Amino acid sequence: MTPQKRILIVDDDRDYLEAVSCFLEANRFTVLQARSGEEAMRLAKMERPDLILMDIMMGERTEGLFTVQQIRRTPELKGIPIFVCSSLYDKAPDFRTAPDSAWMAQDEFLAKPVDMVQLLEKIRRRVGEAA
Amino acid sequence: MPSEPAAPETVVVIDDDYAMRLSCRKILAKMGLRAEVFEDGARGLEGVAALKPGLVVVDLKMPGISGMEVVSRVHEIDPQIIIVVITGYATIDTAIEAMKSGAYDFLPKPFSPDELRLIVNRGLDRRRLALESQQAEIERALLKRRFVTFVSHQLRTPLVAIHQYLDVLKHLDQGDNMQARRQEWIDRCLKRTEELQNLISDWLTLARVEGGTLTKERVRADLNQIIGGILKTYQEMAAAEGVALQNALPEEPLCVCGDRSCLSVLFDNLITNGIKYNKPGGRVRVSGCTEGGEVMIAVADTGVGIPEKYRPYLFDEFFRIRDDSAKRTAGTGLGLHISKRIVNEMAGSIDVESEAGAGSTFRVRLPAWREPEDSTHGSPA
Repeated sequence: MTPQKRILIVDDDRDYLEAVSCFLEANRFTVLQARSGEEAMRLAKMERPDLILMDIMMGERTEGLFTVQQIRRTPELKGIPIFVCSSLYDKAPDFRTAPDSAWMAQDEFLAKPVDMVQLLEKIRRRVGEAA
Repeated sequence: MPSEPAAPETVVVIDDDYAMRLSCRKILAKMGLRAEVFEDGARGLEGVAALKPGLVVVDLKMPGISGMEVVSRVHEIDPQIIIVVITGYATIDTAIEAMKSGAYDFLPKPFSPDELRLIVNRGLDRRRLALESQQAEIERALLKRRFVTFVSHQLRTPLVAIHQYLDVLKHLDQGDNMQARRQEWIDRCLKRTEELQNLISDWLTLARVEGGTLTKERVRADLNQIIGGILKTYQEMAAAEGVALQNALPEEPLCVCGDRSCLSVLFDNLITNGIKYNKPGGRVRVSGCTEGGEVMIAVADTGVGIPEKYRPYLFDEFFRIRDDSAKRTAGTGLGLHISKRIVNEMAGSIDVESEAGAGSTFRVRLPAWREPEDSTHGSPA
């Protein structure tokens, strides 16, 4: 049996975390949760998730964007697809990130609230069907 | 700004008279300015476009493009450039016309070096002021735009959580362990709608304070009565948190001049904060006095306190302490900001004294109520 694919969800809203985690777990993904950028980095390095769902506004600032940058600059993590999920924008914003943290082809922007069916489809397309 | 040795300001001089160009350049260079001179309007305008000077000195009477035209074209390049026109005695009328079309001032020929220095300095000062106020305006606009973005994000956050719960419930309705979860999620959704309600009402209160409609009413208001009422209301909520509410206000009325509903909002905020950010076994004590034409009210709690580094931001809109030491309490981040606005509107003051881990004391000072002058006594001269 192939191991389950692992999704790291980074968000400071615990209700959002709970709802999305529950849905993904029901669809046979293993879910890791982080409530801040710092926690996300720690978990990502330790667990090497297959995909990351990243919120932008955490606390009073756009911590998510900095965390995307950090991930892209970390050699062992930089290939992980990131889906940025935020209610700050309606459509993919022009992220002004540094060149070495550039938006990659496997990345996505999803406006919150996230449509669960669509999310599942997009995740499966990136990381393959869950075991 | 003290750190950067600012590049010298550039001044462009456009005059067909060689001697004039030479002496202007010498005087301006001595003032520490970068002076560039041009002999006619066409070259002068090219120079202005390329050099982006702070100030242009232009002779009104030149062959080729007239000085008047130079004035209007310079402002097409950059309306912030200060223009000083040089005129002969006979052409004061034209000077006035030039000033009507945007020149800052004029120098009648012949003029002394001092006159040139004076007018150039004044012009450059004026430009600095204009640029500074423009900068302040831009910053204000930016802040406003960010504020709107931030507010809509704050409003959307609970809405997103509710939507997400409902969406997942819709898809996972038949699971075995979903029954308990379902109940819990409904409760959480209700909590989040409450958060949304609070945010909207705080936001409305703030808008009303800013519009001045909340504090328009100025009547005699007894804080003893208002605060006594608030303390009664929260007795139960405080008891549930294990916090004692103490009314240490004096017997006599503490009267200020203000809007009662506004004053209620103010002390309601301070007292509920005292309860929310407290610990079991703690207390909130409200005391007050009248002294020197002011009523002072102190709301002291024995709660978690406010770490010193956060104190400067405490009254900012949407500021919330996110710290492991701070309890995760529901709040909109607007309460203290609203309180501060209300106090300001009433010409009072609010400050805080706090020790992390030991508690905080908020002190409000408001002008005491003064009986209106009785007209029969005549007015004080």
